[in-house]
Amino acid sequence: MQNKINKIIWFLFLVLLIGLIIYIGYDNLNKKKRENEYVKKIFYMDTYIYIKIYSNNKDKANKILNNVEKIYKEYHELTDKYNSYEGINNLYYLKNNKNNKEYIEIDKRLYEIIKYGKSWYKKSGGLIDISMGDVLDIWKKYRDNKNGIPNYEELQKAKNNIENIVLKDENKIKNNHVNIDLGSIAKGYTTKIVGEYLKKNNINKFLINAGGNVLVGDNFKNKKYTIGIEDPNSKTKDIFKIVTCNNMAVVTSGGYERYYEYEGKKYHHIIDPNTLFPTNYMKSVTVVTDDSALGDILSTTLFLMSVEDGKKFIENYDNVEVIWYTNDDKQVMSKGFKKYIYE
Amino acid sequence: METKKFIRLSMLLAISIILNLIENLFPFLNGTIPGVKIGLANIIIIYVLFTNSFMDALYVSILRVIIVGLLRTGLFSITFIFSLIGAIISLLSMALFKKITKLSIVGISIIGSVFHSLGQIICSIILLNNIHMIYYFPFILLVSIPTGIVVGIISKTLIDNTKDIL
Amino acid sequence: MNKNDFKLIFGIIIICLIFIIIMNFIPKNQAKIAKIYHNNELVLKIDLSLKENKKYVVDGDKGKVKIVTKNGKIKVEEENSDLHLCSKQGYIENTYETIICLPNKVVIEIEGKKKDIDTVIK
Repeated sequence: MQNKINKIIWFLFLVLLIGLIIYIGYDNLNKKKRENEYVKKIFYMDTYIYIKIYSNNKDKANKILNNVEKIYKEYHELTDKYNSYEGINNLYYLKNNKNNKEYIEIDKRLYEIIKYGKSWYKKSGGLIDISMGDVLDIWKKYRDNKNGIPNYEELQKAKNNIENIVLKDENKIKNNHVNIDLGSIAKGYTTKIVGEYLKKNNINKFLINAGGNVLVGDNFKNKKYTIGIEDPNSKTKDIFKIVTCNNMAVVTSGGYERYYEYEGKKYHHIIDPNTLFPTNYMKSVTVVTDDSALGDILSTTLFLMSVEDGKKFIENYDNVEVIWYTNDDKQVMSKGFKKYIYE
Repeated sequence: METKKFIRLSMLLAISIILNLIENLFPFLNGTIPGVKIGLANIIIIYVLFTNSFMDALYVSILRVIIVGLLRTGLFSITFIFSLIGAIISLLSMALFKKITKLSIVGISIIGSVFHSLGQIICSIILLNNIHMIYYFPFILLVSIPTGIVVGIISKTLIDNTKDIL
Repeated sequence: MNKNDFKLIFGIIIICLIFIIIMNFIPKNQAKIAKIYHNNELVLKIDLSLKENKKYVVDGDKGKVKIVTKNGKIKVEEENSDLHLCSKQGYIENTYETIICLPNKVVIEIEGKKKDIDTVIK
C-alpha cells in the first residue's frame, strides 16, 4: 500500500517536473510578448505614405515611427525642387543657384541619391534621366492648365544633358544649370532606406505603402501580405490582381491617375526622355522585386517600353517579376510572376 | 489528517497549474477559436469536487487561476479576469447540477465546459463590448460537448483508479 | 455515462439548433467603420453599417472637406484642391478601399472585421 502511494507521488512529481521543463523551455524559446500594430500616416514627396509596424514595445514603436517620418521628411526636403528649406542645399537650391558652374557642397544623402539616379541613365537606355527637370516642369505647367500641349522645339530647348551633372568628393556637385528631377526615384529610394532602418532596429514585421511603392517585411501572422493592384480602367477602383509576398517590394507606375486630355488624347505624367512626350504603351506596370529603389526605377523604365522590349530588359535582372497592363487592355505577366498571385 | 488533506490539495493544485500551462503551449488546444479550449485543468477541479468538497474545489480553482495569471498574463489583466469568471461560473454550475440532477461525472464535466464557454461569451460582451461574440455562441456550445466528454472520461478514470490510494 | 448524460447532450444540441435557426433570421450586422484622418490624426468615425444618409464636414489643409454617406458607402462630395481627385473618386465601401485627399491631407479608410487585402497600389 505504502509502496503504491510512493509510486504515485513519484509519478506526479515526474509529471510536474516534465511539465515545468517543457513550459520553461518553450517560454524561453518564445520570449516575445504580444505584438501590436502601430500605424503612421504621413504626407511627403507629393504622396500619401502609410507605415504599419508590429512591435511588442509601444515606446520603441512610436520612436521608430517618428524616426521613419523624419527620414521621409528629410529626403522630401532634400529632393524638393519647388521649395527651399532653411539650412539645406536641396534641389531647389541647386536649381536656383547662380554660381552653379562651381562645385557646391551638398548633403551626403542627396549626393548618394543623385549618384544612384545618374548611374541608371546608361543602364536604362536613357529612360531614367534625372536631368529632365525643365522638360517635366513644362509638361506640369500644361497639365495644370489642362490646355494644349508643348511643342517639340520648346521641349528640346529645355532638355539638358545628364553629363552636365558632375559629382565629386562624395559631397560636391556641379550641376551647370541642370534642373535635377528625382521624382521617379525618390519614393522608392527612400522607402528602401526606411526598410533598412526598420530591419536594423529589429522591426521585421512591417508594411509601407508610399504612393505606389509598397515594401513589406515579415507578416504578423503565419501568412503573406496581400497587395491589391488597382485596375486602371475601373472607375470604382476595382482590383485586377492580388499579389502576395513577404520581404518584397511591389511598385506600380501608372499613367491613369495624373493625366490630362487634349483633343481626345490622354497625356499622362511619365515622359519619355528620348521623345520628350508621354508614351502610349502602358496603362500600368507593376514590378515585384526585393529592392524598392530598383522596383521604382524598373517600373518607370518598363512603363516607357513595349512589353517585348520590357521582357528583354528584365532578363538582365534576377528576382524581378512584372505584370504589364497595356494600353489595349492586355495583361501580360513575366515568366515567374505566377508565384506571387494570390488565389 | 488536516496536513494530509493540505498536501493532497497542494499537489492537485500544482498539477492543475501544469495542465493549464501545457494546454496553453498548444495553439490547437487553445486559442485557434476564441473561447474554445479543452480545459485540461478542469480534470483536477472535477476530481476534487467528487472526492473532496465544493469548497475545496473552489480553493483549488481560484488559486489555480491566480497562479497561472501570475505566471502568464499578470494579475488583473483582461485574460485573468476572463479565466477567473469562467472558472467560477463553471464550478458553481457543476456543483449545482451535481446536487440537483443524476448526471454522471461525464455529464457534470459537459456542464462545466458549457458554462465555462458561456462565461467567456458573457465576459467578452460585457468587458470587451463585443456584441458579435453572440454569433459564436451555438458553435462554442457544440464544441463544449466533445471537450466536456474528453475531460469527463479522464476525470472518471482518474477517480476510479485512485479511489483507494489517495 | 448514463441515460441522463445523453439527455443532456441531446438537450444542448437542440438549444444550439434553435439558436442557429433564430440567428439566421436576424440579419448579420457586420460592423463597418469609416475612419477619417487628417494629418495622422483621427478626426471622425462613422459607422457605415447603420446605412445612414448623412453629411459630415472635416477640416483639411486647404479648407473644409465635405463627406457624404449613403447606403453604407462613403464619398467626398466637395473639397478644395487643384485636381479634385478625391471628390471625383466617388463612393467606396470595401475595407481595402481608401480615399486620399492629398492636398488636404485627409484620408478616409474603412475598417471592418474581414480584411482580405492588406494594401492597394495604383
